[in-house]
Amino acid sequence: MGRYVDTVGSRGVSAPARAMASGGSGWLAEAWALLLKDLRAELRTKVALSTVGLFTFSSLLLLSLATATLKEKLALDPLTNQMRPAWDAAGKMGLLWLLLCFAAFSGLSHAFVHEEETGTVMALRLSMSAGAVYAGKLAFNLLILFAVALVVTPVFMLITGMPLGAPIVFLIVMVSGCVGLAGAATIVGALAAKARGSGALYPAIGLPLLVVFLLLLLNAANTTFIVHPPALRLVRDIGGLLSYGILLITVSALTFSFVWED
Amino acid sequence: MSENTQLRARDRVETSGNADAHKPITHRRGRAVGIVNTAQEKERNSGPCLAPGAVSVELAGVGHRFGARAVFKDIHARVEAGQTLVITGRNGSGKSTLLRILAGLLPPAAGTVTVQVDGETLDPVARRRALGYVAPDLTLYRELTAAENLQFFARLRGIHLTREDLIAALTEVGLRGRGRDLVGAYSSGMRQRLKYAFALLTRPPILLLDEPTANLDVDGIAMVERILAAQRERPGGGLAVIATNEPREVEWGDTWIRLGAEG
Repeated sequence: MGRYVDTVGSRGVSAPARAMASGGSGWLAEAWALLLKDLRAELRTKVALSTVGLFTFSSLLLLSLATATLKEKLALDPLTNQMRPAWDAAGKMGLLWLLLCFAAFSGLSHAFVHEEETGTVMALRLSMSAGAVYAGKLAFNLLILFAVALVVTPVFMLITGMPLGAPIVFLIVMVSGCVGLAGAATIVGALAAKARGSGALYPAIGLPLLVVFLLLLLNAANTTFIVHPPALRLVRDIGGLLSYGILLITVSALTFSFVWED
Repeated sequence: MSENTQLRARDRVETSGNADAHKPITHRRGRAVGIVNTAQEKERNSGPCLAPGAVSVELAGVGHRFGARAVFKDIHARVEAGQTLVITGRNGSGKSTLLRILAGLLPPAAGTVTVQVDGETLDPVARRRALGYVAPDLTLYRELTAAENLQFFARLRGIHLTREDLIAALTEVGLRGRGRDLVGAYSSGMRQRLKYAFALLTRPPILLLDEPTANLDVDGIAMVERILAAQRERPGGGLAVIATNEPREVEWGDTWIRLGAEG
């Protein structure tokens, strides 16, 4: 196997060469520039927003028709032998996240697949470090997901009658969910783009990550609507969700250079 | 060839039959002992032949394969400041692949690539920032304007482009007045010109050009000649590597590699 000579250093390098060798403008500035570029392009083309938005709102429309009669129905709880709503709040929140997950996975692959398909990835590889690319794309996906969740959640609550629960807990669950989902969508998008599988491969690669994520979300959703949840349960369910998101992003950031340089 | 360029006419590359499809044929001229391919040639040219330049690119036994198919193997070459290396060969012989290896975008399957700037060896990632790259498979953002593209890539390199800088960069490649147009609305020739503006953003010591005059008109070809002449005279040293089969572009080289192709 060939090898590259890897003896970079600053000794004896001219100023322009040092600027070029040192990584140009710095990791954060590069990520910020990429985020701004992606936002500018998105505002112009609206590809990600329209894909995610269209998927979400068509799903919401179908959901509102399908659940028109369900939301007022009562069912007998076999454990307590008492009547309770047939469709409880935790179930509704689970459905909201299922909807957001599919919307994210259908629209956020765009971030990398578009670069790969249009050939701009080579210009990026010539100009940016892998870490900065991952950070920039993650930030973009996170912003898109936050924007969609901000619009979709109130509409979903209106349609299904999902209560807010404890507002702080609800907010933490929503933010943690978006962070984890954006992290998963970003690394899976990069893998799918490199595999030249684009959209078709995206859900297949994302499924293992998505299953764990949805299980954690359902646990957190259950906890959100408990009136006075025990502290241990709060830490276990909400903390578990948050930890999974952070873990996913950390592992992705550490492994992204292998995907990017492949 | 344009008169205002300082490019000198070069010896024509011989295209003798290549018995071994993978073995590159190389040619040398002038003072530069640029390329050594065979053991005998290596032996012959092992003495001190070049004063150390500010910039150099050296290939030592470089080879590459895609799966079981060897594209090329055992390439030895050295290019220094003020020189232009031309890589020729049939379609599929690996010209673009070799350029990608030089750029640090692809690791070689065998051998080593050493790029030095001011005597300092750069790793593949640092190398990418020390070169300007123009190639058919390099694309700039179609949904952004030319000015936005240049500003974005300049920002990534830590450069703040003023309005005057932008005008100068676009003027140099013949796109003055078209900076606010979306790249998606550009013709293929204009996009090729914009790639040169991208490649020259940092005035890099190394220029890698794959099919350098593709889609360019007569003025565009003269522009490339001017850029190559300026690269040779670059303060601090500059060199260029060109992958082409165009006879006119082959003439621009000081040293050559001719790659064979399988089948």
